[in-house]
Amino acid sequence: MRMRLLLGLIAASLSAEAGAGEKLRILPERIVLQGARASQQLVALLVSADGSEREVTSETSWQLQQPNLVRWLAPARLGAAASGSTMLTATWRGQKAQVPVTIRLGGEGANPTFSREILRILTKRGCNTSACHGGVKGRGGFKLSASGLYPEEDYEWILQGGGYQVLTPEVKGERIPRVDLANPERSLLLTKPTLTVAHGGGKRLEPDSEDYRTMLAWVRAGAPFGDASRPAPAVMKLTFTPPLVVLPEGGERQLLVTAHFDNGQQEDFTHQVIYSPNDPDIVSVSPDGRIRAQSRGETAIVVRAAGWVGSVIAGVTGPRLPRYPHTPRANFIDQHVFSKLERFQILPSELSSDSEFLRRVCLDLTGALPPPERVREFLSSRDPNKREKLIDALIGSPEFVDYWTWRFADVFRVAIFTNGLSSKWSQSYWEWIRDWVEKDLPYDQVARERIASQGYEPASRHFLPYNQIGPPADVMAEEVRVFLGRRLDCAQCHNHPYENWSQDQFWGMAAFFSRLFRVGAVVFDHPTNMDLSTKDVGGSLELLHPRTKQPVKPVVFDRTPLAVTADGNPRRVLAEWMTRHPYFAEAAVNRIWGYFFGRGIVDPVDDFRSTNPPTHPELLAALAKDFADHGYRLRHLMRTIVRSRTYQLSYRPNETNRRDVWNYSRALARALDAEVLLDAVVDVTGIPETFATAVSEGASVGEAPRGTRAVQLRDPDTFYSRFLELYGRASRGAVPERNAKPNLSQALHILAGSTYVDRLQAPGSRLESLLRAGASDEKIVEEFYLAALARYPEPEERREVLELIAKRGNRQAALGEFVWALLSSREFAENH
Amino acid sequence: MRIQAWLAVVGIAGVAIHPHESRAQATSAKRAEPSIQSIYPFTLERGKRSLITVRGSGLKGVYAAMLPTSGLRARTRGVSTQPPGIKKPVDEVQLQIEVEASLAPGRYPLRLVTTSGVTNALPLLVTDLPVLSEPEGAHDAADTAIPIAEKSAVYAGRLLRRGEADYYRLEARAGEVMTFEVVSGLPQIAAAGSAATVPNFDPALTILEAGASWFDPRRLRRVAFNDEPAFVFGRLTDAHLTHRFERTGVYWLRVEAFAGQGGPDYSYHLKVLAGEHPPEPSPAPTDWQERSFSRSLTPARLTLLAARGGLPDPGLVMERYQAASTGAPQSPRIPLPAMVQGVIEKPGQTHRARFQLESPRDIAIEVETPFRAPPFFNPLVRLVNATGEEIATNLLVGKGACTGALTKSLQAKLIVPLREPGEYTLEVRELTADHAGSNFQYRIQLRPQIPHVGQVRIDADHFNLAPQEAKTIRVSFDREENYREGVAISVENLPPGVSAHTGSDFIEEPDPPEPVGKRERFLPKTEQATVVLSAAQDARLTPEPVRLRLLVRPLTNGRLGPVIAEKEIPLMVVEP
Repeated sequence: MRMRLLLGLIAASLSAEAGAGEKLRILPERIVLQGARASQQLVALLVSADGSEREVTSETSWQLQQPNLVRWLAPARLGAAASGSTMLTATWRGQKAQVPVTIRLGGEGANPTFSREILRILTKRGCNTSACHGGVKGRGGFKLSASGLYPEEDYEWILQGGGYQVLTPEVKGERIPRVDLANPERSLLLTKPTLTVAHGGGKRLEPDSEDYRTMLAWVRAGAPFGDASRPAPAVMKLTFTPPLVVLPEGGERQLLVTAHFDNGQQEDFTHQVIYSPNDPDIVSVSPDGRIRAQSRGETAIVVRAAGWVGSVIAGVTGPRLPRYPHTPRANFIDQHVFSKLERFQILPSELSSDSEFLRRVCLDLTGALPPPERVREFLSSRDPNKREKLIDALIGSPEFVDYWTWRFADVFRVAIFTNGLSSKWSQSYWEWIRDWVEKDLPYDQVARERIASQGYEPASRHFLPYNQIGPPADVMAEEVRVFLGRRLDCAQCHNHPYENWSQDQFWGMAAFFSRLFRVGAVVFDHPTNMDLSTKDVGGSLELLHPRTKQPVKPVVFDRTPLAVTADGNPRRVLAEWMTRHPYFAEAAVNRIWGYFFGRGIVDPVDDFRSTNPPTHPELLAALAKDFADHGYRLRHLMRTIVRSRTYQLSYRPNETNRRDVWNYSRALARALDAEVLLDAVVDVTGIPETFATAVSEGASVGEAPRGTRAVQLRDPDTFYSRFLELYGRASRGAVPERNAKPNLSQALHILAGSTYVDRLQAPGSRLESLLRAGASDEKIVEEFYLAALARYPEPEERREVLELIAKRGNRQAALGEFVWALLSSREFAENH
Repeated sequence: MRIQAWLAVVGIAGVAIHPHESRAQATSAKRAEPSIQSIYPFTLERGKRSLITVRGSGLKGVYAAMLPTSGLRARTRGVSTQPPGIKKPVDEVQLQIEVEASLAPGRYPLRLVTTSGVTNALPLLVTDLPVLSEPEGAHDAADTAIPIAEKSAVYAGRLLRRGEADYYRLEARAGEVMTFEVVSGLPQIAAAGSAATVPNFDPALTILEAGASWFDPRRLRRVAFNDEPAFVFGRLTDAHLTHRFERTGVYWLRVEAFAGQGGPDYSYHLKVLAGEHPPEPSPAPTDWQERSFSRSLTPARLTLLAARGGLPDPGLVMERYQAASTGAPQSPRIPLPAMVQGVIEKPGQTHRARFQLESPRDIAIEVETPFRAPPFFNPLVRLVNATGEEIATNLLVGKGACTGALTKSLQAKLIVPLREPGEYTLEVRELTADHAGSNFQYRIQLRPQIPHVGQVRIDADHFNLAPQEAKTIRVSFDREENYREGVAISVENLPPGVSAHTGSDFIEEPDPPEPVGKRERFLPKTEQATVVLSAAQDARLTPEPVRLRLLVRPLTNGRLGPVIAEKEIPLMVVEP
């Protein structure tokens, strides 16, 4: 102890002096060690007046009033020794801080148990990760549940051995136990990870390590699962200190991980978990939770504990700015976004220019470019509230209804093949969407109508892909993806390899849809208390678990009991639960946020998982609360988003945010979606698109009425369009809803395709009309800049364009080429 | 001849009116089966004379129109082929139709009579409202809209090209209620792979108002839209919309084809009515309906069924009983036969009625839903015994041969052999758990089985026979409730030289059915007979269609019963 104190003093003398107002703080602020094997990692911080923190753990000395109560496992890590209470004092450069320490021994056996110690060791050593024995089929004939989600099953595989099979509980091959109770040292569980015998996973355990000794002691004690009278508590949550890790380049920080158990207890898990940064180029993490900054950026660190997976965001910032300027806040969105930017020492871009804002907000709210006369009007207006007025005008416009109907037709998959192979049914489903968009009905009501729809209700048509009732597993996974933002699909066949979802949870949820039946055009839920002739053909109404082959009852994934009657609509009960679950509002606001910023706070927007955490968890929660508080109205949510300064920031970067793509410090350019781009080309050229119901001729071939916009089309399989196919319109058959990656065909289409070339000087086009009206070159150039880019040409642009037109010799051809060049530009094809 | 009263024969302008002379002139070319495909306008005002265009093929030799009443008179104004030079030219016949003022509004079939024979029929609609035709020119935008000057009138229009939408302009007062109906002029067509029909031209109707969009001040804003709410095979898809206008001002109506089709055949009428009016009912079926949810189950049904089985009136009285709803202390006890009725007013409600069976008996259960039929009201009927065991339901179940998935379909009738005496309970509920309403009304007849001939289907519409030519008529009929007697089919009013024979026809073997439950409880045994009509070499040509009568009777206990199905079929003997 004296040595430790001396080292601490030396370290302190080498470090910088405490700044004015800096205070020493110990983490955690209260220490409870429950059980003889409990430990606690300590952290010492210097907290400045502005809230910034500097870790000084390695330079701090520690003293206990009653040193005999604890063991020092490491310089800043306590272990329990005897029951009692004491005070821990930290000293740094003369500054002191104290925290109470309580040690409670007893309540646990002398020997380690599987459900507690062994499971944690297997998890920390990476044995049950999805890349190892926690994979779908296990590895090397040995299967463990991912992150120890199913301790009882893991225990059986270890004690009895045998090969795991995905689709049946039958054991494959000879059962060879992985423990040898007669010769504990020869247990495969010990000889494999120590490489005493060959092990595909390499060396995971040193024979002289504490973990090895614990495992050996466990086998020697008869390899007990646990104390039957005291079931091992299950982890319900992991929390992290700090919840957001911010490091300067080259900096370090000790992370504390606290496990929260279902019995209400908490325990330091910093040394009981395995850390995996999603991007190891940004931070690295040592096995004991020490984070080291590698390069500037932001990433998530996935933390796996036995029975749980969590993650924490870590960011590496540039040099601290001498004086971080205040940025005005328009609403709570800005509070959250700008506060994080300040922590990361990133300056937000300036407020967008009027033309930048005008084009962006028009495209984002309505999918339409502002017409030139409206651009002139807006840019010349001196009204200080013109942006708010514009937002209200756009949200109240019929174009808004068209655009968001189209957006949600994507999300809700309006298409003939997904809606009973009937264009009439996809039409009625589409009309249902249009109706609630137009009326701004509460989104929770929309969700309930869709999830629980029965009979011949329009929303029930989505249960009939390919004119069949979809399998319960598919239908459930889709509703959860759309409304809760989670992708459970993996758990259909096995426990989710990267998440906390189990196969049982998946099928419990799927069972809510297992009674879905169809009679003619009618969708209904088959009562379970009525046979309804099922026995006549030897049929069964039970949904069987694919692995256990046992009937599955409807159970929501947090096990909340729901009252499902035998002859009621079980989906209505589920829909009520889903729309009241916190996931619902979070998923909804995240989806909408993603449309306005090009990425979700969780991204992809429908892939919430503990290994894919939100970049701004408090913002997500605040948006969700505001959404719920305002009746789940999408228009309110959108209005809140576009009124924020965050949304209205310029796309032009500054020195600090040039590389930032996570923190909304500037607007990011986003490629226009296929339909919006086509409508934009039509608006600029003035020549409408013709949408036919088939490529071939025939009596039954139809066309959309003249002037129909691409976003007004009902479904992608009714109206053929080469352009829309090229630019990646959604087929509405798969996740993600659209995947519009650039391709060579698009480039060729720009060069020679009818969309770009034929329209330019067609009769009735904007260019032809201007020429016919005798407009000057300058007027024409300005008009097209306003129509395509919502701005006037810069003086240099104007001069150069006019010079090129003059040089070309053929005025009409030159102007056509100018319009083509505008339409081919990135500025036109993107929203920024 | 009766046919004279039935047929209005009129002369063609520029052609001798004697039928035989016109035939001789027109038969030099190879005979083509004449048919008509559209009429414009197809709605005519009573007491007025109107010019209509009938489009079709093989119509060059037209010399008469065939109308079912003397209240309609036709005069041909000319024939042309439109447009010349295309692969499948279309003949256009201009007819002047005069409608007597006393003629009842309704549908009247029109056929043309040509040198190649008689055509199929398309309906003419007679109305007592003024009928106004679409003016010349384009009306595909708000500023070229057709003004609606009269608020109770029919506007006849055509969507002449694909993607065309016709605009109408009207003024309405705040609070004013109006009803609009768009009726397609094209008949339904056979659905692929099915005996059912689907719309060829499904009209859609939109009401719009001036928009004040920030983007386009001229943009119209949609205030109401109708496409028929249900798509069910065989059901009409005409658009019907009743709307209360919120503001005083100008509105527009837009008429288009649901799938954007268009062409000279795409005729429609837009009916505008002040106030609220229900949709025009679909033409009621004229033949016997055994298994339709909308058939009327009257107390006299037992008598009707007995007659269709060639049996005397059983003399049974069918009394009406109200079923007890969920939560009622006890359900009523009913005799056999009985009519049980009720309304599923609340979601999840189940109605019950009990009866005592003294000895084994085969019973029939028939279900009628007079106001709302499937897919809107889906009456699920169960019969359970005293121990609560399900004895029968009106759900026919199948099991997919490949996937094993259960398929179920709702039936309007089932027959149940009850072998165990005791108390039984009839249960009725809406198939879904969430739907109910004051119009979810049902009537159920519970009765002993009465063997009889059910639905009869005769597949001929018209006949054109050349000398030495023979054609078949297929007659199929259902044996209901174990009807084991004979069926007689006869043909009357054959012209000289034409004879009718019994025959046989090749019937394609259907695919083996998927495993199906007690199919016999839900589906009758269907048989098919074939009648062959043959024209002798010296058969006399018929200048006018002859109305054949095909009659179907039960043959029970050695006696012919009453006519239970009858169809009149126009027939002509024409030159080869």
